[in-house]
Amino acid sequence: MPDLRIEATINGRKIARSAKPHQRLLDFIRDDLNLTGNKEGCGAGECGTCSVFVDGVLMKSCLLPVAKAQGATIETVEALAKTGELSVLQKAFHKAGASQCGYCIPGMVMAATAALRANPFADREEIKERLGGNICRCTGYQKIFDAVEMARDIQNGSLPATALMEADTEDAVLGKSVRRIDAPSKVSGRLKYAGDMIMPGMLHVQVLRSPHAHARIVSIDTEAAGSIDGVHGVITSADVPGEDGFGVFVNDQPVMARGKVRYIGEAVAAVAAEDLAIAKRAVAAIKVVYQPLPAVFDPDEAMRSGAPVLHDYAPDNITKHIPIRVGDVDKGFAESDLVVEEIYSTQPIEHAYLEPEAGLAYVDHDGVVTIVSPDQNVTHHRHMLARIIATPISKVRFIMSPVGGGFGGKEDMIYQGMLALLAMKTQRPVRLVFTREESIISTAKRHPSRTVLRMGLMRDGRIRALQMKMICDGGAYGLSTEGVMRKAAILAAGPYVVPNVRIDTLGIYTNNTPSGAFRSFGALQTAFATECHLDICAERLALDPFQIRRLNAMRDGAITHTKAKLGSVSLTRALDALEQASGWEAGAPVSRGSTRNDLGGDDIRPPCALGARFAGGQKQEAAE
Amino acid sequence: MLTCDDYVSPSCLAEAFAAIEAYRGRYRIVAGATDTLPWAREGRAGDVHIPLMIDVTKIPELCELSIDDKRVRLGAATPIQRFLDDPGLARALPCMTRCAVWFADDQIRAQATIGGNIVNASPAADGTPCLIAHEAKVELASAHGRRKMPLSDFVTGPNKTALADGELLVAIECDALPGYGGSFEKVGHRRSLVISLVCLAALLKLDARGRRVEDVRLAIAGIGPRPVRLNDVEEFLCAGSLTADRLEQAADMPVSLVASRTRQEYRRDVVRGFMLRGLINAAKRAGADKSVLTAELEAAYA
Repeated sequence: MPDLRIEATINGRKIARSAKPHQRLLDFIRDDLNLTGNKEGCGAGECGTCSVFVDGVLMKSCLLPVAKAQGATIETVEALAKTGELSVLQKAFHKAGASQCGYCIPGMVMAATAALRANPFADREEIKERLGGNICRCTGYQKIFDAVEMARDIQNGSLPATALMEADTEDAVLGKSVRRIDAPSKVSGRLKYAGDMIMPGMLHVQVLRSPHAHARIVSIDTEAAGSIDGVHGVITSADVPGEDGFGVFVNDQPVMARGKVRYIGEAVAAVAAEDLAIAKRAVAAIKVVYQPLPAVFDPDEAMRSGAPVLHDYAPDNITKHIPIRVGDVDKGFAESDLVVEEIYSTQPIEHAYLEPEAGLAYVDHDGVVTIVSPDQNVTHHRHMLARIIATPISKVRFIMSPVGGGFGGKEDMIYQGMLALLAMKTQRPVRLVFTREESIISTAKRHPSRTVLRMGLMRDGRIRALQMKMICDGGAYGLSTEGVMRKAAILAAGPYVVPNVRIDTLGIYTNNTPSGAFRSFGALQTAFATECHLDICAERLALDPFQIRRLNAMRDGAITHTKAKLGSVSLTRALDALEQASGWEAGAPVSRGSTRNDLGGDDIRPPCALGARFAGGQKQEAAE
Repeated sequence: MLTCDDYVSPSCLAEAFAAIEAYRGRYRIVAGATDTLPWAREGRAGDVHIPLMIDVTKIPELCELSIDDKRVRLGAATPIQRFLDDPGLARALPCMTRCAVWFADDQIRAQATIGGNIVNASPAADGTPCLIAHEAKVELASAHGRRKMPLSDFVTGPNKTALADGELLVAIECDALPGYGGSFEKVGHRRSLVISLVCLAALLKLDARGRRVEDVRLAIAGIGPRPVRLNDVEEFLCAGSLTADRLEQAADMPVSLVASRTRQEYRRDVVRGFMLRGLINAAKRAGADKSVLTAELEAAYA
């Protein structure tokens, strides 16, 4: 394989060095030149965190074969300002609070730089359009656009540079807009995420994943894989020295599949090798014989007798059932003037944090097994790992690297166990960086749900009784299902006074991808049902949706249906603010679409249309 | 992950053909690479090894551009962004500019090429219906000679073309249509970086009074295995005056063509809406008379 000779100018410095012909410019910059400011978020040109200037034109370095850099001038995020300094745009990102997890920010800063270079007077719509190739999962974009507008105005002289300075907080920070202390490291690309970290002698890890939803593992043969030159270690569940099992409430998940696989994408074996290509070859050389088992993909079917059983300890496939009973629901329905029943369902949702999972592990000079990863629950994981690898807890250390977005999706110890075992087995530092596809196929999703909700109301809108049964697909392993079911049940009746309540939330094992924590943690599914239901009931009773909510709202000192006493309740204030801000057309919600008077106002975002660059008057129209 | 033994960037066609000859059946032509790299990933082609990658973007002929009153000749490696940046191209290809606006994002447009978009032969390719509406012909070259064929015949199915072994797409020739009103309608999940669910290219020329259709070109993609020209609708529109009634009738005609694998019902709704919106937008830009394009019609569809 002849290497390419790449001569280029990178961040003002001439370089001439060899590169593998299949390398992408992103690999060359990050792995060979160790310029890790620009990140990899998707590897498919979707997210833009890898965006760099090539001869002054912004491009996605994950889509550029390195050969295209031949003779080119490349600028990465590191080129935007000298060490210790920040460009005006970077300072504006700092000031505006435009960075949260920070993982998209190097690309955002590059795209914003490109936008203002192309048009120093770009308006907000044009800025939006020019940043369209960059995805952020934390901010909702508004603060990013604020930052670009601020930098534009400072560069144009219409805003003084002092606008970038910290507001005078006079020692008190509450109620003040304070700049984030971690922002300079993020806007400059200097912050190292786990996937940016390297250690001398580090090996690269790849994971063999199950192609079956449910199958018995008859045998695993790792001999051919282990004998490939450059492979330093291959592990399976047989390499786990301690008590194998992790989870948040029930330790039902082995580090790698043990005896059988329960979902497509489950880890079966892992390899540590000198480079990624060798590790991939070794994974392909592992021979696993599976005996497929009947699988179940629907939680209702999973509860029927005779359904395939996922875990011996739960023969009914019920991960957790949370029942709540208050008052007499049947009596409440009998007293009601109106009883409404509907079915609501929600789908699985991927967190899609911009940083795919990554971790680095090593055994230090004192024999401490050390895991560095964007882990949202390090203390719990440290305890679990000590038991799994049969090592005293004083010899297990978890270091939480910067989390490039988590939203609950990085609460589970999905891969840290494999890293620990490989570091111990190879006596070398090992690193695993998930691809976007791997992250999507193997990690937890928001629980899909099906909710049957029955509500009894009086003619004036007061709720007399609420009965809800929500069945959630928990997937193949427990993870956070129990907690999600608890919180769903606690919040199911909403912030409303309901005298008679019967709630059941059930998390069910199936052979789907496991469901787990996701911000709002169970509240989304039940609130979706309850709030939609209230709108439907309001329409049936010819009441304004705000009115029906105010009528039933909990007030200061309310006792919830799970007997929590609420000191202060801000619901009515929130409703007032919402009603005002939305310009709500008062009355029962009987009119729809274009006949409504509260749509299409100044504060309502219209559908996507051509931005200022192209809509009328500009060069395209002039050219035609 | 894509791996290869070698990656060459020939500086002329002869060099490219020599590389093709040396690696028969073991090479892949790459231009912008924006389709190739995402293709070689898990869930699509997976890990792919291609012995030789041949990058054609350094071949001068593939980067050339010429425009006269009648025809436009586009080198196959013309980046999509050029349709936005070059006023001469915008004048000659009225719907291509509007297509480019919606194409991927600013960054990918700078890299992706029109030839790549055609050869990739996605059923939802944005550039192909525009060029089909411009009566495009593709020019193919091999070590043994050259041939031309209509673009509408070149794309034969999903990711399938009439490109023969050892052949390269070197250029696209199409009608220059200055003075036509052009429109490109596209729908997907978001503004940028989205593959069309349906896209429609419309070109319209009206008489001096802006009432009668002198010429119309319509092509649609995303509703079946390959982009198609709507000849019968064009004939219908040319046979009479531009009226709201006739526009509505024309909009219904291609609805039955929807033969996509998924979401047919939705696409039928979109096709009808796009036909109206595309024709109205194109008519507006072609100088349609106000009595034809009533405010109501515009409010409803444009």
